[in-house]
Amino acid sequence: MTLTRLKNGTVYDPTNGIDGERRDIAFRDGRIVDVPPHVRADHEYDATGMIVMAGGIDLHSHIGGGKVNLSRLLLPEDHRDDPLRAPSYEAVRDDSGRYLRLPSCGVCSPGTLATGYRYAEMGYTAVFEPAMLPSNARHAHLEMGDTPIIDHGAYVMLGNDELFLQLLAEPDNYERLRDYVGWTLHTSKALGVKVVNPGGISAFKFNQRALNVDEAHVHYGITPRDVLRTLTRALTDLRVPHPLHVHSSNLGVPGNIDSTIATMDAADGLPIHLTHIQFHSYGDEGPRKFSSGARRIAEAVNARKNVSIDVGQVIFGQTVTASGDTMMQFRNAPLARPHKWIVGEIECDAGCGVVPFKYREQSYVNALQWIIGLEIFLLVDDPWRVSLTTDHPNGGPFTSYPHLIRLLMDKSFRDEQLAKLHPEAQVASALPELKREFSLYEIAIVTRAGPARLLGLRDRGHLGAGAAADIAVYRDEPDRERMFTSPAYVFKDGELVARDGTLVSTPTGGIHFVTPDYDRGIEKTLRAYSEKNLATNFAHAAISDDELCACCRGGRLLPVECFHDASTAGSTR
Amino acid sequence: MSSTPVPASALGPRDAGVSTDWVCPFCALLCDDVAIRRSADGALDAPNTRCPKLAHALAGYGAADAHASASIDGANACADDALDRAAHLLARARRPLFGGLATDVAGTRALYELAAATGAALDHLHGDALAAAILAQQDRGSFFATLSEVRTRADLVIVFACRPAARYPRFYERALGDTDLARRIVFVGCDADPAAVDYASRANDVSVETLLPGVDAHDTLARWSALVESRSGAAKPAGGDAATLAALVERIGAARFTAFVYEPAALPGDHRALLIEALNRIVKAVNRSARAGGVALGGNDGAVTVNQTLTWLSGMPLRTRVAKPARLEGEPPLDHDPYRYRTGRLLARREIDLLLWVASFDPEPLPAALDPDVPAIVLGHPALAGAIAAAQRPATVFVPVATPGIDAGGHLFRVDNTVALPLAAARGIALPSVADVLARVGERIAALAVAAADAPAAAAPGIVAVPLAASGAATPSGAPA
Repeated sequence: MTLTRLKNGTVYDPTNGIDGERRDIAFRDGRIVDVPPHVRADHEYDATGMIVMAGGIDLHSHIGGGKVNLSRLLLPEDHRDDPLRAPSYEAVRDDSGRYLRLPSCGVCSPGTLATGYRYAEMGYTAVFEPAMLPSNARHAHLEMGDTPIIDHGAYVMLGNDELFLQLLAEPDNYERLRDYVGWTLHTSKALGVKVVNPGGISAFKFNQRALNVDEAHVHYGITPRDVLRTLTRALTDLRVPHPLHVHSSNLGVPGNIDSTIATMDAADGLPIHLTHIQFHSYGDEGPRKFSSGARRIAEAVNARKNVSIDVGQVIFGQTVTASGDTMMQFRNAPLARPHKWIVGEIECDAGCGVVPFKYREQSYVNALQWIIGLEIFLLVDDPWRVSLTTDHPNGGPFTSYPHLIRLLMDKSFRDEQLAKLHPEAQVASALPELKREFSLYEIAIVTRAGPARLLGLRDRGHLGAGAAADIAVYRDEPDRERMFTSPAYVFKDGELVARDGTLVSTPTGGIHFVTPDYDRGIEKTLRAYSEKNLATNFAHAAISDDELCACCRGGRLLPVECFHDASTAGSTR
Repeated sequence: MSSTPVPASALGPRDAGVSTDWVCPFCALLCDDVAIRRSADGALDAPNTRCPKLAHALAGYGAADAHASASIDGANACADDALDRAAHLLARARRPLFGGLATDVAGTRALYELAAATGAALDHLHGDALAAAILAQQDRGSFFATLSEVRTRADLVIVFACRPAARYPRFYERALGDTDLARRIVFVGCDADPAAVDYASRANDVSVETLLPGVDAHDTLARWSALVESRSGAAKPAGGDAATLAALVERIGAARFTAFVYEPAALPGDHRALLIEALNRIVKAVNRSARAGGVALGGNDGAVTVNQTLTWLSGMPLRTRVAKPARLEGEPPLDHDPYRYRTGRLLARREIDLLLWVASFDPEPLPAALDPDVPAIVLGHPALAGAIAAAQRPATVFVPVATPGIDAGGHLFRVDNTVALPLAAARGIALPSVADVLARVGERIAALAVAAADAPAAAAPGIVAVPLAASGAATPSGAPA
């Protein structure tokens, strides 16, 4: 029952409308409490001159599961190149003599331990794996469970699994599909549903090499639009807070602007979240047949209140692309740098592709990709509908977020970086004319308040009474990159976990998931399908609460409530 | 299965009964459709499953397991004494090797923490085959398909230079099942697997054939690769091996989906990684215009599992040494080297001063090449107790442990690397798991370190005493340091 008070910090809490006010924040038993100033606290931290925000929330980062581990396996050189920290960094022990931190390395594909440590040191308190295959769900939970400190969760992939497409291809199956979605969320312990290249991963299995939004799957005859419409409708009916999380068709293809906008409209006005939209914002104009579609995409997002996005910003340097989009990863494999890659097809569910990539300032295409991402950030009006991501590791490692924040907040820094790029790219876009600089309030929205709202995490992403005491306290420095790299204090559920960018405690994070209502009768259909087709016994399909606890090393189960009625689900929040 | 499903966990250790849907840990196929029967005296069998490997493994469990004792230097000892002794041995070791590593996810999690605390290298019993596959992956990548994909799509199955049923007895049943799909199974580079012929005889429309059985594997793959990479202008070969391969290439091009099955451990010669790389290059080339995927058979005794878990925790796969924090300036915390950290090589060159040997699935004895002077800690199958007592080996600690799936639960990864399955104890005799034992040893080692730090004069020469409570450390309650 110890009371802790964070004194005199400058608080940015957009969920509660607080924009840079000097306030004390008090917390007890892991929760923020409203306590009059005269009540004595057991511990006090002086946050004078510091910026106080809720802990960061990354709603799209590949941190656990098969393709993530394959990317580690593929790139030992990435691990060997990880700059060495001083041995004393690892030598800290807790009171019982056990080492606080275990060795873990990698830059673009770090081990799970390094992932947890680094996110926490950077002030993030929750991270979400966006592409968990149902057949690989246990693996994803095991990896996330071995990611210390941060809370986590995952979106489960549907819309390319053979059963879904079979049901969709037959008439009058909507209720069964809806219940199948509910069952999948429940048994894989997911927080939301992801669709990657709707129908396209499956189409590739039938040797189809491209699939546009209104193009028919060569075997099932359905279109990506059919998949999107069904999934968005199902999630709305199931009252799942997070909208369908969509990796759209035609990733990386010049001219994909139209299919991206068509994807938005496939939801028929229901909530839909388009992820790493930068990769889906390419025009095909100009002598190099590659141009920025950022303005059209941003206008489309601005005009559609049901659409939310995360950007997937490209960061220059070596990274690895790890994705479920086998169709596109195979297509892009010749561009792999270093020249090696992995593609696999998985359990009639989906697939994965791992292709190392190096984004270079002097490449016209890469430079324009960088520009496009920033243009999108700067042109979309409503920060509540934009989340800050690099689609780690696809655009760049998550450790580059502070750099990205500085690019958004500091026009002169942006111009300096722009000047380093391929000269044709510099003049190919409107970026130099975009003068907008994000405020701290807006940064707080795109890195914590907005993601929490989009995920339905009502007690996270803000600092109101009753919220979990996940708090990041930054020294107010003019160099925003430095500021956001090493927070002065990071609290997780009220416990101090990091100070000045290094860890002091490594508690186990919790797992967020939804438990929607659905008709269990669907299991009959699923069992029959499984027995006929799968090499896995249906009896083991579901992950129980107990098993989840074991996967997550005893981390707390954090079920997220579904909406109470469908009308809440349909409106903007 | 006919009987009412009873989860294994619901049965008490003394009860007889049957549990269905049991997951078998004894090879990497992880068959999850087994009905396992246990009798009141602790014996086990699976009368409805035809698998010699399972039968052999189950025969190794019996009534004696409940009385398996820990031992020190061959003499029975209580668990606490054995753990104390193990902790002392580990704390003193400068170059420990954690070998065998026949365990599950929980065991690997515990092994990693202990390896970090003691500066250990990690290699698996099947390290050689695994290393070949890892090297090929690291150099070039791969193109794979998992078992259900093969089952539902593969109308052409190419098996390269191996007999899957030798190490994976139910392979055809599990990977191909009894679906109505017509299949052609083609063995290249070896004779047909009799189990494949048997499977075909019981299936609807499955045939088995053999191509180029006596030809050198490298030559075959080189010719094959040249054929798939050649542009349309290349002349068709007139006869001989090249013509055989050309015909196969055409069949692959026309197939709906071709599964390429291979087994790293069975590949001939000293350069298996090159063969694996060549196969994957062929599969990748096929996929430019047709569809195919590879299935690599391997990973028994937890090899797949331990490799996955170690890789996700640290970033590096097996055959990696974890350095202690008290290491030389500039020394990396993780050193992955598949040549240097090979068990056989380390033992032959006498480069280790302690072996921690984990053998929870099979009573795998200590390697013969282990120097008699090197201390050994064995976390092993209860059936090892007798042999270890008889050997009377000095500086040896033995702790009997539970087999995941027999006396404890756990998680294991299947052969195709993506599906992880939960195991339930078929029997549930009170043997500790590998993770339990390692956790208790770890606590003791940490306590020894605390004691050493409090009394620096007692620290052994050459070992840097690591200071406790370095600046920045806070008490768990969150009070500022």
